[in-house]
Amino acid sequence: MLIYVNDKEINLNENLTIAQLIDSLNLNIKSTAAAVNKEIVPKAKYAEFILKDKDRLDLVTIAPGG
Amino acid sequence: MAIIPNNHMTTNFEDKLKIGKYSFKSRLIVGTGKYPDFVTMQKAIELSGAEIITVAIRRIDFEQKENMLSFIDQDKYTLLPNTAGCFTAEDAVSTIRLSRELGIFKTDLVKLEVIGDPKTLYPDNEELLKAAKILVNEGFTVMPYIIDDPIVAKKLEDIGCPVVMPLASPIGSGLGIRNPYNLKIIKETVSIPVIVDAGVGTASDAAKTMELGVDGILMNTAIAGATDPLNMALAMNYAVKAGRLAFLSGRIPMKLYASASTQMEGIVF
Repeated sequence: MLIYVNDKEINLNENLTIAQLIDSLNLNIKSTAAAVNKEIVPKAKYAEFILKDKDRLDLVTIAPGG
Repeated sequence: MAIIPNNHMTTNFEDKLKIGKYSFKSRLIVGTGKYPDFVTMQKAIELSGAEIITVAIRRIDFEQKENMLSFIDQDKYTLLPNTAGCFTAEDAVSTIRLSRELGIFKTDLVKLEVIGDPKTLYPDNEELLKAAKILVNEGFTVMPYIIDDPIVAKKLEDIGCPVVMPLASPIGSGLGIRNPYNLKIIKETVSIPVIVDAGVGTASDAAKTMELGVDGILMNTAIAGATDPLNMALAMNYAVKAGRLAFLSGRIPMKLYASASTQMEGIVF
């Protein structure tokens, strides 16, 4: 299936969770927050939230700012 | 309490910045943007003496190899997430809620800015008030960035913000204080702390701002954009302390004519 991660197209296997995707991208789950189709997903749900075809996933963290 | 690092001067009073249920020794809050690299950012923050540092919430850059968090000692600094770049209450509230899901912030302090215009980066008061209400109700300690408007400052106090943060001049402009009288009026209008956020260009601006009697300053560009950010961070550290001490010490009144500092009594010729 195809999903968009931070607007980038990524091809994934079916039934992948947010937690698995974060892990596969070598990101630290502790400093990552996620929204799917602009809906914020609580961190406690990452391990059970299964991504669907054409989902738009935003993965965020802290960045420099004033 | 040591007032200036590497200096023998000390004072014996406790002078803390209180923001809601939190209290801080430093009255300078610094941003983390615009530094050439994270090492410079880290050193500048340290030299500034700040205890609160602002950060943005952004999409992860998969090309970025360094993790910003590894350059910030969270036992030493309080991270303050901001809503920079948000133009609606809805976006600002979503950004803060998303920041909460990060799970890395040790306090509920948030810097709320809702921008109304990209050229001036002036806030949209209507949207700001809307967002502040929602976030205060959700339990956040909301630190709103505002224009130097006493009316909106009072409204935010009434909503439950424990601090207001009026600009001195536009973000990143370095113009210094364009309207010191409004800042004084805001300080008299609200009973919560007033932190001047944005516009400071150099150390004298910071000292003058503190001499007005405001409770603190938040700055980013003035340090990060200086030719030597590390020494400017130290200069700002000194300036904020110097300005605060001068304010507390009570400056002499201005007079048109001279007043001799040497007595005339005992003069020979």
